[in-house]
Amino acid sequence: MSALGPLGFLLVMLGFGLRLDTDWQGTAWVLLAAGAAAVAIAAAHRLGAPRAFVSTEGGE
Amino acid sequence: MPAACRPGTAVAAAVVIGVAVVLGWRSMQRVVVAVEAGTPGGPLLGPRVRAWYKQAIGPVEDALVAWGVHPDALTWAQLGVSVLAGAAFAAGAVFLAGWLVIAAGTLDVLDGGVARRTGAASRHGALVDSLVDRYAEFATFLGLGAFFRRSWVLAAVAVACFGSLMVSYTRARAEGLGLTMQEGSVQRPERYVILGFGAWLSGLVAHLACALRGTPTHAVLAAAVVLLALLSTWTAVQRARHAVRKLDGNGRP
Repeated sequence: MSALGPLGFLLVMLGFGLRLDTDWQGTAWVLLAAGAAAVAIAAAHRLGAPRAFVSTEGGE
Repeated sequence: MPAACRPGTAVAAAVVIGVAVVLGWRSMQRVVVAVEAGTPGGPLLGPRVRAWYKQAIGPVEDALVAWGVHPDALTWAQLGVSVLAGAAFAAGAVFLAGWLVIAAGTLDVLDGGVARRTGAASRHGALVDSLVDRYAEFATFLGLGAFFRRSWVLAAVAVACFGSLMVSYTRARAEGLGLTMQEGSVQRPERYVILGFGAWLSGLVAHLACALRGTPTHAVLAAAVVLLALLSTWTAVQRARHAVRKLDGNGRP
Protein backbone atom coordinates (compact mmCIF):
# COMPACT_ATOMS: atom_id res chain seq x y z
CA MET A 1 0.00 0.00 0.00
CA SER A 2 2.84 2.43 0.81
CA ALA A 3 4.16 1.96 -2.75
CA LEU A 4 1.28 4.22 -3.74
CA GLY A 5 3.06 7.25 -2.23
CA PRO A 6 6.04 7.45 -4.61
CA LEU A 7 3.96 6.23 -7.57
CA GLY A 8 1.31 8.84 -6.87
CA PHE A 9 3.92 11.58 -6.64
CA LEU A 10 5.37 10.53 -10.01
CA LEU A 11 1.90 10.53 -11.59
CA VAL A 12 1.27 14.04 -10.26
CA MET A 13 4.57 15.27 -11.72
CA LEU A 14 3.86 13.65 -15.11
CA GLY A 15 0.41 15.25 -15.00
CA PHE A 16 1.96 18.67 -14.35
CA GLY A 17 4.40 18.01 -17.19
CA LEU A 18 1.63 17.24 -19.67
CA ARG A 19 -0.38 20.24 -18.43
CA LEU A 20 2.58 22.62 -18.77
CA ASP A 21 4.00 21.71 -22.16
CA THR A 22 1.53 19.69 -24.23
CA ASP A 23 -1.98 19.82 -25.68
CA TRP A 24 -2.89 16.64 -23.80
CA GLN A 25 -4.84 18.50 -21.15
CA GLY A 26 -7.41 15.72 -20.58
CA THR A 27 -4.69 13.13 -19.92
CA ALA A 28 -2.92 15.64 -17.68
CA TRP A 29 -5.97 16.05 -15.46
CA VAL A 30 -6.49 12.26 -15.29
CA LEU A 31 -2.86 11.79 -14.16
CA LEU A 32 -3.14 14.63 -11.64
CA ALA A 33 -6.34 13.19 -10.17
CA ALA A 34 -5.02 9.60 -10.09
CA GLY A 35 -1.72 10.70 -8.54
CA ALA A 36 -3.41 12.86 -5.89
CA ALA A 37 -5.74 9.98 -5.01
CA ALA A 38 -2.81 7.56 -4.70
CA VAL A 39 -0.87 9.96 -2.45
CA ALA A 40 -3.98 10.53 -0.30
CA ILE A 41 -4.59 6.77 0.09
CA ALA A 42 -0.92 6.20 1.01
CA ALA A 43 -1.04 9.05 3.57
CA ALA A 44 -4.28 7.73 5.10
CA HIS A 45 -2.81 4.23 5.29
CA ARG A 46 0.31 5.57 7.01
CA LEU A 47 -1.72 7.56 9.56
CA GLY A 48 -3.81 4.48 10.35
CA ALA A 49 -0.78 2.21 10.82
CA PRO A 50 0.06 1.23 14.44
CA ARG A 51 3.03 3.11 15.90
CA ALA A 52 6.09 1.42 17.36
CA PHE A 53 6.46 1.32 21.12
CA VAL A 54 10.12 2.28 20.83
CA SER A 55 10.89 6.00 20.86
CA THR A 56 12.22 7.35 17.57
CA GLU A 57 14.01 10.14 19.44
CA GLY A 58 16.79 7.87 20.67
CA GLY A 59 17.83 7.25 24.27
CA GLU A 60 16.40 4.65 26.64
CA MET B 1 9.53 25.79 -26.23
CA PRO B 2 6.41 25.75 -24.08
CA ALA B 3 3.18 25.77 -26.11
CA ALA B 4 1.79 28.44 -23.77
CA CYS B 5 2.83 30.24 -20.61
CA ARG B 6 1.25 28.47 -17.64
CA PRO B 7 2.67 30.27 -14.58
CA GLY B 8 -0.24 29.19 -12.37
CA THR B 9 0.39 25.51 -13.06
CA ALA B 10 4.12 26.10 -12.59
CA VAL B 11 3.48 27.65 -9.15
CA ALA B 12 1.23 24.72 -8.19
CA ALA B 13 3.90 22.24 -9.28
CA ALA B 14 6.56 24.21 -7.37
CA VAL B 15 4.45 24.10 -4.18
CA VAL B 16 3.94 20.32 -4.48
CA ILE B 17 7.65 19.78 -5.13
CA GLY B 18 8.53 22.10 -2.22
CA VAL B 19 6.37 20.07 0.18
CA ALA B 20 7.94 16.84 -1.13
CA VAL B 21 11.44 18.28 -0.68
CA VAL B 22 10.72 19.29 2.94
CA LEU B 23 9.23 15.86 3.76
CA GLY B 24 12.10 14.13 1.96
CA TRP B 25 14.70 16.23 3.79
CA ARG B 26 13.15 15.39 7.16
CA SER B 27 13.09 11.67 6.44
CA MET B 28 16.67 11.84 5.12
CA GLN B 29 17.82 13.19 8.50
CA ARG B 30 16.43 10.04 10.13
CA VAL B 31 18.37 7.70 7.87
CA VAL B 32 21.20 5.95 9.68
CA VAL B 33 24.32 5.22 7.62
CA ALA B 34 27.47 3.41 8.67
CA VAL B 35 29.85 5.92 7.03
CA GLU B 36 28.62 9.52 6.83
CA ALA B 37 31.30 11.14 4.67
CA GLY B 38 31.79 10.15 1.04
CA THR B 39 35.14 8.71 0.07
CA PRO B 40 37.61 10.94 -1.81
CA GLY B 41 37.05 10.39 -5.53
CA GLY B 42 33.82 8.64 -4.72
CA PRO B 43 30.38 9.51 -6.09
CA LEU B 44 28.93 12.99 -5.53
CA LEU B 45 25.75 11.55 -4.06
CA GLY B 46 26.82 10.44 -0.60
CA PRO B 47 25.82 7.28 1.25
CA ARG B 48 23.05 9.08 3.16
CA VAL B 49 21.28 10.26 0.00
CA ARG B 50 21.63 6.85 -1.62
CA ALA B 51 20.35 5.05 1.49
CA TRP B 52 17.42 7.48 1.78
CA TYR B 53 16.41 6.99 -1.85
CA LYS B 54 16.61 3.20 -1.56
CA GLN B 55 14.43 3.45 1.53
CA ALA B 56 11.97 5.77 -0.22
CA ILE B 57 11.47 3.43 -3.17
CA GLY B 58 11.69 0.33 -0.95
CA PRO B 59 7.89 -0.17 -0.89
CA VAL B 60 7.83 -0.09 -4.71
CA GLU B 61 10.56 -2.74 -4.81
CA ASP B 62 8.62 -4.83 -2.26
CA ALA B 63 5.49 -4.61 -4.42
CA LEU B 64 7.39 -5.59 -7.58
CA VAL B 65 8.91 -8.60 -5.80
CA ALA B 66 5.50 -9.59 -4.42
CA TRP B 67 3.90 -9.36 -7.87
CA GLY B 68 6.69 -11.50 -9.35
CA VAL B 69 7.82 -8.88 -11.85
CA HIS B 70 10.93 -10.09 -13.68
CA PRO B 71 13.91 -7.69 -13.47
CA ASP B 72 14.37 -7.89 -17.26
CA ALA B 73 10.90 -6.31 -17.64
CA LEU B 74 12.11 -3.38 -15.53
CA THR B 75 15.27 -3.07 -17.65
CA TRP B 76 13.20 -2.88 -20.84
CA ALA B 77 10.76 -0.49 -19.17
CA GLN B 78 13.75 1.73 -18.36
CA LEU B 79 14.65 1.80 -22.05
CA GLY B 80 11.05 2.65 -22.98
CA VAL B 81 10.85 5.47 -20.42
CA SER B 82 14.23 6.83 -21.60
CA VAL B 83 12.97 6.88 -25.20
CA LEU B 84 9.88 8.75 -23.97
CA ALA B 85 12.16 11.19 -22.12
CA GLY B 86 14.11 11.78 -25.33
CA ALA B 87 10.86 12.31 -27.26
CA ALA B 88 9.65 14.74 -24.58
CA PHE B 89 12.91 16.71 -24.82
CA ALA B 90 12.65 16.78 -28.61
CA ALA B 91 9.05 18.05 -28.35
CA GLY B 92 10.07 20.79 -25.89
CA ALA B 93 8.23 19.24 -22.93
CA VAL B 94 11.20 19.82 -20.63
CA PHE B 95 9.47 19.49 -17.25
CA LEU B 96 7.91 16.18 -18.34
CA ALA B 97 11.25 14.97 -19.73
CA GLY B 98 12.96 15.71 -16.41
CA TRP B 99 10.59 13.53 -14.44
CA LEU B 100 10.79 10.78 -17.08
CA VAL B 101 14.60 10.85 -16.70
CA ILE B 102 14.18 10.45 -12.93
CA ALA B 103 11.66 7.63 -13.49
CA ALA B 104 14.14 5.87 -15.81
CA GLY B 105 16.88 6.25 -13.18
CA THR B 106 14.57 4.77 -10.57
CA LEU B 107 13.80 1.78 -12.81
CA ASP B 108 17.57 1.35 -13.23
CA VAL B 109 17.92 1.09 -9.45
CA LEU B 110 14.87 -1.15 -9.10
CA ASP B 111 15.89 -3.78 -11.67
CA GLY B 112 19.10 -4.59 -9.81
CA GLY B 113 17.35 -4.67 -6.42
CA VAL B 114 14.56 -6.93 -7.67
CA ALA B 115 17.08 -9.23 -9.40
CA ARG B 116 19.06 -9.66 -6.18
CA ARG B 117 15.98 -10.25 -4.01
CA THR B 118 14.34 -12.76 -6.35
CA GLY B 119 17.57 -14.64 -7.02
CA ALA B 120 17.29 -13.74 -10.71
CA ALA B 121 20.64 -11.94 -10.79
CA SER B 122 22.80 -13.47 -13.53
CA ARG B 123 25.71 -12.61 -15.83
CA HIS B 124 23.24 -12.59 -18.71
CA GLY B 125 21.07 -10.04 -16.90
CA ALA B 126 24.09 -7.91 -15.99
CA LEU B 127 25.21 -7.80 -19.64
CA VAL B 128 21.74 -6.95 -20.97
CA ASP B 129 21.33 -4.30 -18.25
CA SER B 130 24.65 -2.63 -19.16
CA LEU B 131 23.86 -2.60 -22.88
CA VAL B 132 20.31 -1.34 -22.40
CA ASP B 133 21.62 1.41 -20.09
CA ARG B 134 23.84 2.75 -22.88
CA TYR B 135 21.01 2.75 -25.42
CA ALA B 136 18.71 4.38 -22.85
CA GLU B 137 21.23 7.15 -22.18
CA PHE B 138 21.79 7.68 -25.88
CA ALA B 139 18.03 7.93 -26.55
CA THR B 140 17.71 10.65 -23.93
CA PHE B 141 20.72 12.59 -25.24
CA LEU B 142 19.38 12.28 -28.80
CA GLY B 143 16.17 14.01 -27.78
CA LEU B 144 18.12 16.60 -25.83
CA GLY B 145 20.24 17.27 -28.90
CA ALA B 146 17.09 17.73 -31.00
CA PHE B 147 15.82 20.26 -28.44
CA PHE B 148 19.07 22.27 -28.60
CA ARG B 149 19.63 21.72 -32.35
CA ARG B 150 19.85 25.45 -33.09
CA SER B 151 21.97 26.37 -30.07
CA TRP B 152 25.61 26.19 -29.01
CA VAL B 153 24.38 23.89 -26.22
CA LEU B 154 24.22 21.11 -28.84
CA ALA B 155 28.03 20.86 -28.54
CA ALA B 156 27.72 20.46 -24.77
CA VAL B 157 25.08 17.75 -25.31
CA ALA B 158 27.51 15.88 -27.58
CA VAL B 159 30.33 16.16 -25.01
CA ALA B 160 27.99 15.09 -22.19
CA CYS B 161 26.81 12.08 -24.21
CA PHE B 162 30.35 11.03 -25.14
CA GLY B 163 31.60 11.66 -21.59
CA SER B 164 28.81 9.55 -20.12
CA LEU B 165 29.58 6.67 -22.47
CA MET B 166 33.32 7.00 -21.71
CA VAL B 167 32.68 6.79 -17.95
CA SER B 168 31.03 3.42 -18.48
CA TYR B 169 33.48 2.26 -21.15
CA THR B 170 36.51 3.06 -18.97
CA ARG B 171 35.07 0.98 -16.17
CA ALA B 172 34.17 -1.90 -18.49
CA ARG B 173 37.66 -1.90 -20.06
CA ALA B 174 39.39 -1.68 -16.69
CA GLU B 175 37.30 -4.51 -15.28
CA GLY B 176 38.05 -6.51 -18.44
CA LEU B 177 41.73 -6.15 -17.49
CA GLY B 178 41.01 -7.51 -14.04
CA LEU B 179 40.76 -4.26 -12.09
CA THR B 180 37.97 -3.24 -9.76
CA MET B 181 36.57 0.20 -10.52
CA GLN B 182 34.20 1.89 -8.07
CA GLU B 183 35.76 5.37 -8.33
CA GLY B 184 34.12 8.25 -10.15
CA SER B 185 32.41 11.44 -9.01
CA VAL B 186 29.62 11.35 -11.58
CA GLN B 187 28.29 7.86 -12.09
CA ARG B 188 24.90 6.95 -13.51
CA PRO B 189 22.77 8.05 -10.51
CA GLU B 190 24.50 11.45 -10.49
CA ARG B 191 23.90 11.81 -14.23
CA TYR B 192 20.19 11.07 -13.77
CA VAL B 193 20.00 13.62 -10.95
CA ILE B 194 21.83 16.42 -12.80
CA LEU B 195 19.83 15.97 -16.01
CA GLY B 196 16.47 15.16 -14.39
CA PHE B 197 16.56 17.92 -11.78
CA GLY B 198 18.04 20.39 -14.26
CA ALA B 199 15.22 19.65 -16.71
CA TRP B 200 12.22 19.90 -14.39
CA LEU B 201 13.66 22.99 -12.71
CA SER B 202 14.24 24.53 -16.12
CA GLY B 203 10.65 23.73 -17.09
CA LEU B 204 9.34 25.52 -14.00
CA VAL B 205 11.63 28.53 -14.50
CA ALA B 206 10.66 28.71 -18.19
CA HIS B 207 6.95 28.99 -17.36
CA LEU B 208 7.49 31.45 -14.51
CA ALA B 209 9.92 33.64 -16.49
CA CYS B 210 7.62 33.41 -19.50
CA ALA B 211 4.98 35.31 -17.53
CA LEU B 212 7.48 37.99 -16.47
CA ARG B 213 9.59 38.43 -19.62
CA GLY B 214 7.19 37.26 -22.28
CA THR B 215 9.73 34.76 -23.63
CA PRO B 216 10.63 31.36 -22.21
CA THR B 217 14.21 30.53 -21.28
CA HIS B 218 15.89 27.20 -20.72
CA ALA B 219 19.13 28.57 -19.30
CA VAL B 220 18.85 26.22 -16.31
CA LEU B 221 18.77 23.15 -18.57
CA ALA B 222 21.66 24.54 -20.62
CA ALA B 223 23.67 25.02 -17.39
CA ALA B 224 22.82 21.46 -16.29
CA VAL B 225 23.99 20.06 -19.65
CA VAL B 226 27.27 22.01 -19.48
CA LEU B 227 27.80 20.81 -15.90
CA LEU B 228 27.09 17.24 -16.98
CA ALA B 229 29.52 17.55 -19.89
CA LEU B 230 32.29 18.84 -17.61
CA LEU B 231 31.72 16.37 -14.79
CA SER B 232 31.29 13.33 -17.06
CA THR B 233 34.51 14.13 -18.88
CA TRP B 234 36.28 14.69 -15.57
CA THR B 235 34.99 11.37 -14.23
CA ALA B 236 36.12 9.47 -17.33
CA VAL B 237 39.62 11.00 -16.99
CA GLN B 238 39.59 10.32 -13.23
CA ARG B 239 38.80 6.65 -13.87
CA ALA B 240 41.36 6.34 -16.66
CA ARG B 241 44.11 7.82 -14.45
CA HIS B 242 43.12 5.51 -11.61
CA ALA B 243 43.16 2.46 -13.90
CA VAL B 244 46.56 3.37 -15.40
CA ARG B 245 48.03 3.93 -11.92
CA LYS B 246 46.73 0.56 -10.77
CA LEU B 247 48.05 -1.22 -13.86
CA ASP B 248 51.48 0.43 -13.44
CA GLY B 249 51.48 -0.57 -9.78
CA ASN B 250 50.61 -4.15 -10.64
CA GLY B 251 53.37 -4.26 -13.23
CA ARG B 252 52.79 -4.51 -16.94
CA PRO B 253 53.70 -7.64 -18.85
